[in-house]
Amino acid sequence: MKMYSIPYFFGQTFKGLWRNKLMALASVIVLFSCLVLMGSFVLLLYNVNVNIDSVVQLNEIVVIVDYKATDEEVQEISDSISKLGNIAEVTFISKEEGLESERSRYEEYSYLFNELTEDNPLPDVFTIRYKDNSEVPNLIYQLKQIPGVSKVNNRIDIANDIENIKNGISFVFIWFLAILFVVSIFVIINTIKLGVEMRNKEISAMRYIGATNFFITTPFVIEGAVIGLIASILAFIAERYLYEFVYSAIHENYSIITVIPFSQVSLVLGIAFLCVGVLAGVVGCRISLRRYMKI
Amino acid sequence: MIEFNDVSKIYPNGVIALEHINLKIDDGEFVFVVGASGAGKSTLMRLLLREEKVTGGTLRVGDYDLGTMPNYKIPYYRRQLGMVFQDFRLFEKKTIYENVAFAMRVIGEPSSVIKRRVPTILSIVGLVDKYKSFPTELSGGEQQRVALARALANNPRIIIADEPTANIDPKLKMEIMNLLVKINTKGKTVIVVTHEKNIVDQFQKRVVTIQEGHLVDDRVGGMFHEDV
Ligand SMILES: Nc1ncnc2c1ncn2[C@@H]1O[C@H](COP(=O)(O)OP(=O)(O)OP(=O)(O)O)[C@@H](O)[C@H]1O
Ligand SMILES: [Mg+2]
Repeated sequence: MKMYSIPYFFGQTFKGLWRNKLMALASVIVLFSCLVLMGSFVLLLYNVNVNIDSVVQLNEIVVIVDYKATDEEVQEISDSISKLGNIAEVTFISKEEGLESERSRYEEYSYLFNELTEDNPLPDVFTIRYKDNSEVPNLIYQLKQIPGVSKVNNRIDIANDIENIKNGISFVFIWFLAILFVVSIFVIINTIKLGVEMRNKEISAMRYIGATNFFITTPFVIEGAVIGLIASILAFIAERYLYEFVYSAIHENYSIITVIPFSQVSLVLGIAFLCVGVLAGVVGCRISLRRYMKI
Repeated sequence: MIEFNDVSKIYPNGVIALEHINLKIDDGEFVFVVGASGAGKSTLMRLLLREEKVTGGTLRVGDYDLGTMPNYKIPYYRRQLGMVFQDFRLFEKKTIYENVAFAMRVIGEPSSVIKRRVPTILSIVGLVDKYKSFPTELSGGEQQRVALARALANNPRIIIADEPTANIDPKLKMEIMNLLVKINTKGKTVIVVTHEKNIVDQFQKRVVTIQEGHLVDDRVGGMFHEDV
């Protein structure tokens, strides 16, 4: 490419966008909506994940020891557990430790715990992290067989449910995104097609005087990229305000829910928007040129 | 040098537009191509432009073999041709100056060269004072002169004109023809497709006659072939 062509290319691009402004605007709006929806979904999913992970330790089994068990019996249970397979980590939490941790969790009410210290209602507990999900029912069965174990709690069902829900959402979401993306590309294809048709005579005259395909198509490709660029910048700004709004609403009303601050995701989101937007613009344009210009 | 060697052209719909064409045109020649409507004259020009590909035989122009030339080379090949059509095909939204300048821009000439060359070329076709006008503000003859200026912009070796006088006022036809002859005397090969007997007869140049896809006559100093 010759350097003197660059101002020409950009001049053509903006002339083209202007001549074709309604379609260009439509492309920007569709692509913009698509990006905002994508961004919102991804951020929502991300936040849901973070919250689920912080609320429950999902790959954990809690073995509750019979309240009346003696220290020796507890020791025997510990030995039995350590002989089982599929165990990654065992932590013993004694009655006293359990009470302490509860006390520190509800610091404001710590006076309530003073009486409990005399007559601790909490059992001794083993928490077990396992290695393999699929072997969990077997592990639970074996744990229940150990004498002195009063109860075995596990969250494998919840874990599976949550996993299923996440997969379901992701599945629907991915299809939704794919459709949106196709729609945006389609709109861009039509925009560029219109531009090419408007300039059809000019393009064929250019061919006769020896214009390369590169020279002819570059203004259109830049047009597509500019549409993508504008849509992604607008989408980023909109997403930012939307997110901050939801963030402060949740923060004020449901303080237990963790919301990742926008600043932590803004860079990745911005780059993703830019890539998806410009890619949609350029891909749409390429398809259009291929179809309508026999390149 | 242009060399058609047993060239044929069959369109995808089965029409045999040209068959067994043998024709050699040397650098600097002036050639009229004549023949009835549908004889295949435009097809011959389209082959030269490499808008269509030969379906048989070989066609060489200078160092290029048009039958085997890859597509990406077409634009570079066309830069040594200057095309003039009966419907002018100017850029309607550009001024006369811009029309000529754009042809140079397309091949990447720097602005300094463009600024220097455009006035020179416009003066050859006698349109310097109209440089600010748009094509629609000019007569057919003037528009064709702009087309000729644009064809000359990149200093091509060959000028191909497909019925350049067809849409021009009879009084102005000679003007265009004289320009083409003038360009020819400056060393460029000029090929003119035409229907007009009086033009052909007047100039006494080489005349190639096509009839139903065959080359039936080729003579220097020839007259319009009366039989076709
Ligand atoms: N693109 C095409 N596809 C199929 N057939 C074509 C095509 N172009 C031309 N033909 C046919 O090829 C034959 C030669 O056409 P061509 O245009 O070369 O004639 P011509 O000598 O230029 O005629 P005219 O004097 O009317 O311009 C005609 O029968 C025409 O119908
Ligand atoms: Mg013709």
